[in-house]
Amino acid sequence: MGKEAILRVDGLSMYFPVYRGVLRKKVGEIKAVDDVSFDITRGETLGLVGESGCGKSTTGRAILKLYDPTAGRIELQGRDITELEGDELRRIRTDMQMIFQDPQACLNPRMTVGSIIAEPLDEHTRLKRRQKRERVRELLDAVGMNPDFENRYPHEFSGGQRQRIGIARALALEPKFIVCDEPIAALDVSIQAQVVNLLEDLQKQHNLTYLFISHDLSMVRHIADRIAVMYLGRLVELAPRQQLYSMPRHPYTKALLSAVPEPDPAREALRERIILKGDVPSPANPPSGCNFSTRCPIAEDKCRREAPAWRKMDGGRFVACHMVQ
Amino acid sequence: MVKGGICDGTCVLNAGGFAGAGNSFSQEHNMKKALLCSAVAAGCFAGSALAERGSDGQLNIIYWQAASILNPYLSGGTKDIEASSLVIEPLARYDETGMMVPVLVDEIPTVDNGGVSEDLKSITWTLSEGVKWSDGSALTAADVAFTAAYCLDPEGGCQQASNFTDVESVEAVDDLTVKVSFSVAKPFPYGPFVGSQVPVIQKAQFENCMGAKAPECTEANFGPIGTGPFVVSEFKANDVVTYEANSNYRDEAKPAFGSVVFKGGGDAASAARSVLETGEFDYAWNLQVEPEILSKMASAGKGTVVSAFGTSVERLMVNKTNPDPALGDKRATVEGGAHPFLTDLSVVNALSKAIDRQILVDVGYGDAGQPTCNVLPAPAIYASTANDECLAQDIAAANKLLDDAGWVRGGDGVREKDGVRLSILYQTSTNSVRQATQALVKQWWAEIGVETELRNIDASVFFGGDQSSPDTFQKFFADIEMYTNNFDGTDPENYMANWSCGEIPSPANQWLGDNMPRYCNADYDALVAKMAVTAKLEERAELAKQMNDMLMQEGAMIPLIHRGGVSAHANTLAGVRMNEWDSELWNAADWKRAE
Amino acid sequence: MFNYTIRRLLFAIPTLLVISFLIFAILDLAPSDPTGNLPLTIPPEVREKIRLSLGLGEPFPIRYLKWLQQFFINEPLNMIEQWFGITIGDSENRLRVQSWATRSPVVDLIVERMPQTLWVVGMSYVVGILIAIPIGVISAYRQYSVFDQVGTFVSMVGFSVPTFFTGLVLIVVFSSTLGWLPSIYDTTHKVTDLSSFWFQVKQMIMPVMVLALFNASQLSRFMRASMLDNLSQDYVRTARAKGLKERAVLLIHVLRNSLIPVVTVIALGIPQIFGGAIITEQIFRVNGLGQLLIIGIQGADIPLVQTLTFIFAVLIVLFNLLADIVYGILDPRIRYE
Repeated sequence: MGKEAILRVDGLSMYFPVYRGVLRKKVGEIKAVDDVSFDITRGETLGLVGESGCGKSTTGRAILKLYDPTAGRIELQGRDITELEGDELRRIRTDMQMIFQDPQACLNPRMTVGSIIAEPLDEHTRLKRRQKRERVRELLDAVGMNPDFENRYPHEFSGGQRQRIGIARALALEPKFIVCDEPIAALDVSIQAQVVNLLEDLQKQHNLTYLFISHDLSMVRHIADRIAVMYLGRLVELAPRQQLYSMPRHPYTKALLSAVPEPDPAREALRERIILKGDVPSPANPPSGCNFSTRCPIAEDKCRREAPAWRKMDGGRFVACHMVQ
Repeated sequence: MVKGGICDGTCVLNAGGFAGAGNSFSQEHNMKKALLCSAVAAGCFAGSALAERGSDGQLNIIYWQAASILNPYLSGGTKDIEASSLVIEPLARYDETGMMVPVLVDEIPTVDNGGVSEDLKSITWTLSEGVKWSDGSALTAADVAFTAAYCLDPEGGCQQASNFTDVESVEAVDDLTVKVSFSVAKPFPYGPFVGSQVPVIQKAQFENCMGAKAPECTEANFGPIGTGPFVVSEFKANDVVTYEANSNYRDEAKPAFGSVVFKGGGDAASAARSVLETGEFDYAWNLQVEPEILSKMASAGKGTVVSAFGTSVERLMVNKTNPDPALGDKRATVEGGAHPFLTDLSVVNALSKAIDRQILVDVGYGDAGQPTCNVLPAPAIYASTANDECLAQDIAAANKLLDDAGWVRGGDGVREKDGVRLSILYQTSTNSVRQATQALVKQWWAEIGVETELRNIDASVFFGGDQSSPDTFQKFFADIEMYTNNFDGTDPENYMANWSCGEIPSPANQWLGDNMPRYCNADYDALVAKMAVTAKLEERAELAKQMNDMLMQEGAMIPLIHRGGVSAHANTLAGVRMNEWDSELWNAADWKRAE
Repeated sequence: MFNYTIRRLLFAIPTLLVISFLIFAILDLAPSDPTGNLPLTIPPEVREKIRLSLGLGEPFPIRYLKWLQQFFINEPLNMIEQWFGITIGDSENRLRVQSWATRSPVVDLIVERMPQTLWVVGMSYVVGILIAIPIGVISAYRQYSVFDQVGTFVSMVGFSVPTFFTGLVLIVVFSSTLGWLPSIYDTTHKVTDLSSFWFQVKQMIMPVMVLALFNASQLSRFMRASMLDNLSQDYVRTARAKGLKERAVLLIHVLRNSLIPVVTVIALGIPQIFGGAIITEQIFRVNGLGQLLIIGIQGADIPLVQTLTFIFAVLIVLFNLLADIVYGILDPRIRYE
C-alpha cells in the first residue's frame, strides 16, 4: 500500500486465567485473543468482524492497553506501547481513543455531558475553564448535538444521542486512532446509518484512523477499507473490502458472507447459504490444529494436527488456512 | 473495721435499754444517753482514729437492676427501696440477725416499756431529739403522721399499703411523739415505719403530692429529702444515682464516704465481675450467678462474696383442686372438686422424698441456697425441725410409699390406680435455674414412676395478675407450680395466714388470694385466728411452727430451697453486714475503706 | 422534589397514626402487668389500687386517645415552653406521658438518655462507616487479593459473632486481665479538661469498637459489592480510556457512583442509632435508649415502651423519606414528581 502504518500489531495474545475451587487455583486460561497480527495505515478503516465471543472486542481493548496483553507487540506511530504503564501510558492515550458499544453504560450516569467530555481535557491539557467550555461546545456541535446540552445528564438523551456524546468524548483530545467497538450495535437501525455517516465525516475532517469492530458485515462493508475476519481468538482472513466480498478465500469467511442478504433480488435468489455444523468450541479449550477444523466443511487431517500459518497472499490479502493455495 | 459499726449500734441500743420507758423522763433520759453515747463513742474513736465525715472518698455500688424512683411508696421494687434507704429512713429497722434496731427513735416501743398499749391496739413512738432533715429542718412527729396519710390516700396507689393494714389513725401527739392506732388488736404492731420499705418522708416536700398528684412530683420522687447518711445529688432514672454525704446527718463522724455512686443496668454476672475481677465497684447486689462462675471470679482475690438468709423459700405448690380443662369455669377451684391424686398424702410425700435438694442447691444456688423442708425456715425461733426427714433423698422409700398406697406401674412405667395415672403438669416462671431444677425433678420423679410434663411461663405473665391470662400462678391451671415467696420483716403472722381457707383464689374473688394450693383446714384457720390475738413472742413462735408443720404434713407444698441473698463487696470496703431482713445498705453509714 | 417531599410527609401522618394504634393495641393485648414484677409480698388489693392509679381502670379507646393527646399536643407544647421559656395556657395541669416505673415524664427520660446513646452508638456508626468504606473499596479493587480475603473473613466474623460475645471478650481482656479500660460506662462523667476527655475516650472505646465492628462488617460488604458492580461498568473503562489517573478513576468515577446505594443504606440505618444498641448498652452499662426500652419492657412500663417504639417508628418513616431524597439528589437519573 505504500502508506505508513499508524498501528502495527504483531502476535498479540490475550489469555484470561480461569480460577476454580475454594482456594481459587488457576486451572486453565481462556485464549480470548491468540497470536493476532495486522497493520492499519493512517486514514484507513480496518473492519474487524466475527461472531460474538470471538475476541474482537478484546483485541480492541488490548490494543488500547485497557488490558495487559499476554504476549505480542503493539506499535502506535512507530512507538512500542506494549510495555507502557502509568503516566507514560496515560500520555499516549491522547492519541488513541475508543467508542464503546453501549452508549448508556459507558457514560458515567452521575456526570453531566459537559463534564464527561471535558474530563480528558482536565487531565491532559492546560486549557482554561472558558477554553474548555468552548471546546466542549465545539465538540458537541461537531457531532451534531445542540451545544446547550452540556449541562444535561446522559440519561436524558436517546441512544443515538448518547453515542454522539461518546464520540464527542473520544474526539476531545484529537486522537489519531480510534477503536470503534460495535458503536452501532445497540442502536436502532434508523439511527445506525446516521452514526456511521457521522463517523465517516469525522474521519475525513480529522484524518482519523479507525479499527471498526462489528458483527454486522453489511455495515462493515459500507465503512471499512480493509476487513479482518476473526474466529475463536484468531484472525482467519484479512483482505481489502472488494476482494474479500467478491472472492472470500477462507471457508469461514465464505460461510459468513453467505449469510449476508444481497440487496439485489436476482443475486439474492442465487445466494447459497453455507450452514456451519456444530457450535463454536470454548476458547478455554480450543481444538488442536486449526481452530476452525471442528466445523470446517473442507477440513482434512492436517487441519486437525497443525495450526495453519498466517500467510500473505496476493493483493494485500492474508489468510490462515492449509487448504488455500 | 467492723468495729465502728458495732460501736454505733451498741451505743444507741444501750441508751434505749437503760432509759427504760416513759416520756416524762425524756429530758433526763436524753442526758443519760448523751453521756453514755459519748463514753462509748470515745471508745470507738480510739479504735478508728481517722473517722471523719467524707474522708474515705467515693463509694461505688452496682445494682444490676437500676433504680427507677427513690420513693418506696410508689415502687415496690427492691432496687428502688434499697437505693432510697441511703436517704430516707424508717423509725426502726432490722439488723442482720433480724432484730429490730431503733433508727429515728431511742427505743422500740413494747408492751413492757409501755410503748404498746395493753389491748394491742396502739403503738406510740418517740422520736430521738435533734434529728434533722438534710435540708436542716427538724424531723417532727408531723412528718411521720404525714407519711401515713400519704400512703393511705386511696388514690395514690401506694405500694406499701399492706404495711399500714388495719391502721385507723396516725397522729402526732407532740413534736416528738406519734401514736399509731389500729382498728384491731395488733400483736405485732411494727408494720408502719419499720423497715426500709416504710421510711419517713418529709411533709414539707411531699405535702402537695398526695393522692393522684403523687406520680407528678417527679422532683420529689427522684430526690426525697431524708434523714439518712446521704443526700441525692443527681438522679438518672433507670441508670445511676449519685449521692453526697448528708451534712446534717445525726452522727457527725459519719458517713465515712463523701459520695456514693449507685449504678444500675446490665446483668448479675457482669456486676459480680466489676467487684470481684476488675475492682471498679465496691459493692454488688443480688448476684444470681451460677455458683461455679461466682467462685471462680472470687478467686481473683479482689472481693468477697457474702450471703444472708431471710425467709425466701423456693417451693413446689401442690394443687389440691382439679385443674382438668374439662371442668371449664370450675377448673382449679374448690367447686371443681379435689385433685385426682395430689390429695393422696403418700403421693405428695413420695414426690418430696424423691428430690435431692442438695443437688438442686449445688447446681443452681451455691452460696445462695440451702436445702429446707419448711416453708417457714427463719427467723430461727420460728424454724421447725419436725420435717427434716426430707433433707435426704430416698428413692426406694418413695417407691415403697407408692407401692403400699396401691399405685402400680403400668406398661410405660408410669404408676396408676383406678384408672388415674400419676402424670403431672409442672409449671414455673422462665428462668434458667428454675428450668434446670425442673429437669432434675422430672428425672427423679420418673424414677418413682411419675410422669412429668414441664412448662415455663414468662415471669411477667406468671406473676402478673392479668385476669384474662390462663397462665398466672394464681389460676394455677397445673398440678404443681414452683416459685419463691417470702415475707417482709420478721413476723410471719400475715404470711402464715396466706393458707387459710378464705385466701383461696377463685373466680369469685378475681383469683386474688395467696392460698395457691387451695389448702383448706378448719384447724389451720383456728391457729391463724389464735396467732392474731397472741402477743407473747414464744407463743407466737410455737403457733407458727405448728402451722408450718401442718402445711408440710398435709402436703400443701413441698419446700425445696431456703434462698438467700448473695452480694459481693470489695476487700477494700469494710463494715458490710449483709442483711436479708432489711435493705442491704441498711448500715451504709458505717461503711468505710479498709486499711 | 419539594412537592414530593410534602406529599410523602402528608402520607406519613395516617401511616403513623395506624402504627401508633397498632403499637398501643399490641402492648395492651400483651399479657403483661405493671405490678407483675413487684415482690409477692405486696397483696393483690394493693396491686389493684396501683393499677387503678396508673389509669388502667379506663377503657382502651379512652386510654389511647389520652395518649394521643399527651404525645401529640401536650408534649410538643411542653417542648416549646421549655425552649422559649414561655407559658402556654394551663401548663401546670397539662398531663404529659408518664412512665409507670419512674412516675416521671417519658420524654424527659428519653432526653436524659440521648447523650450517651448518640455518643456511643452514633460514634460507633461513624467509626463503622469510616472503617467500612476504605475496606470495601480496597477489597473490591483488589478482589480476591489477600487483603480482600482477610477483609471478607473479618467482616464475616464481625457480622456473625454476636456483640455480647465480642463485648465480653473485650471486657475480659482489657478490663479484667489488663485493667486498661473501664468495663462500666459512667453516664455522669462530664468532660471538662484533657484528662476527663481522655477518660471519656477510654470508657467509650470498647462499646464503640464492638458496635463499630458490627456495623463496619455489614457496611463494608455493601461497599464492596457496590464497588464491584461499578468497577465492571463500561464507564469505568471509558474513564481509563480517557487516560485518567487510576486514583481519579477509582475515586471520582467508581467510588462516587458506588456510594449512592451505600449512602441510602447508611441513612436507613440511622434510626437504629436512636433505637440504641440494647445488648451492647447492657453489657457496658451505657444505659442509653436501648437499655431504657428493655427496662420498660421488663417492667411492663407500657407508656415508656409505647412512646419509645412510636418515636422509633417516626424516625424510620422520616429516614426512609430522607434516604429517598438523598438518593434523588445523588443520582441525577432519579426524579421524584
